[in-house]
Amino acid sequence: MQLVRHFAPTAGLALALLLGWEVYCRLSGIPSFVLPPPSGVVRVLWTERSAIGPHALATIGVATLGFGLSVAFAFAASVALHFLPWLRRGAMPIFVASQTIPIVALAPLMILWFGFGLLPKVLLVILVTFFPILVSLLSGYAAVPQAWLDLLRSMDAGRAAIFRRVTLPAARASFLAGLRISATYAIVATIFAEYAGARRGLGIYILAAKNNFRADLVLAAVALSAALTLALLGLLRLADRITAGRFGGPADAAG
Amino acid sequence: MLRVEGLTVRAGEGRVTQDVSFEVAEDRLTCLIGPSGCGKTSVLKWLAGVLAPSLAATGRLSIDGAPATTPDRRIAYQPQQDALLPWLIVAENAALGLSIRGRRRAEAREAVTPLLASFGLAGTEDAFPAALSGGMRQRAAFLRTIVQDSRFVLLDEPFSALDAVTRLSMQDWLAARLDEVPRGILMVTHDLHEATRLADRILVMAARPGRIVADITIDTPRGDRTEAALAGTRSHLKTRLLEETP
Repeated sequence: MQLVRHFAPTAGLALALLLGWEVYCRLSGIPSFVLPPPSGVVRVLWTERSAIGPHALATIGVATLGFGLSVAFAFAASVALHFLPWLRRGAMPIFVASQTIPIVALAPLMILWFGFGLLPKVLLVILVTFFPILVSLLSGYAAVPQAWLDLLRSMDAGRAAIFRRVTLPAARASFLAGLRISATYAIVATIFAEYAGARRGLGIYILAAKNNFRADLVLAAVALSAALTLALLGLLRLADRITAGRFGGPADAAG
Repeated sequence: MLRVEGLTVRAGEGRVTQDVSFEVAEDRLTCLIGPSGCGKTSVLKWLAGVLAPSLAATGRLSIDGAPATTPDRRIAYQPQQDALLPWLIVAENAALGLSIRGRRRAEAREAVTPLLASFGLAGTEDAFPAALSGGMRQRAAFLRTIVQDSRFVLLDEPFSALDAVTRLSMQDWLAARLDEVPRGILMVTHDLHEATRLADRILVMAARPGRIVADITIDTPRGDRTEAALAGTRSHLKTRLLEETP
């Protein structure tokens, strides 16, 4: 019941939007190759499922690998930057600068340098998703209440023990917030990388559909990409809930 | 006997405390009282070895006449409020000091378990701190401090976050625990009622720079400290505090 109440406003709003879109398409007489109605998008999603399926699977594979590596790298980097302030001072501007590179410019270069295989796409996903996780971890480490740190120092705990017992668990909520932000970028970044050049994936599927003036197929792939992102967010929320008991009370994830 | 001599804490050019010297007797409760900003918390943090890096301190600490450096195993510290870690259950929080100092986790928990009842925490050992009332959280924090088996205990305004009624009952509760497990306690407070109810000795600090301006001993046993018996001491203390508050 609570679940229904939680999702009812979102479902209602989405339904109203889709209904408005459907009605507009039917009444305005707009050609379906310009704006297909939602019912048309759902239809091609079903009829083209065997064609889209492998592309979606390829996208899931790249996004999962890229996102997973990104989390691992961001965590390792956060630990190094936490313990080595000089490295933090030196590396942070470089990380910030890396975020200003337009993905539009970088994606084709990656393909040029690393070919059409897995590597350029995974690198692009890491580049896009790494920074929010790193920043959220570092800000989580910095926001630990002084009293907790003082308490452990007074117990003569070393820096590693303080990090493991207080700083890291205290940064959990912040880490999850960063994960959620990055998760929303992961699928989009993968699709963009595929769009720039790939043999398989939703990105290259969208490109081919666009070239054939098949707006319905483009939208079908978009719907699938949204569903994948929501599924990833759902998984994160689930992981949050499962581990929340240890962290005193309600889960940190919102929305 | 724990002795502090000539403690001066500096923040840049300014002085937080100036030449503070005092002793904390074994099995006695000494209160450090003074207006906000008089440096009483800095004195406590220096003793705990957790003074902020932005502050520079000079002074000597000795225990039983021998020089000591902080953090020292013989001194346990309880920060302001309870500082319980929300992701650890009560038993793990209480055993934290022991497990940090190298006791195996199971062994540390075993040391804590028999004390839970006398600390009013029976049945809550597997609960997370968020499920406890303010008074229970404070008792769990005391348990964490007491089980470290240190001879001296530093308490930084331990009851300041509690409501008035809980604070009174917790003061009585602490007095009873101290009769059971005596420790040399140095407690920072800004509440003169609390100081006169609990302390064997009250050190009054003045601000800018923080220094000790009065040393009051209360000989009346804690059990006999009625409002009437304390009226004279409180009045004297209040006058001194008002004189020293700018």
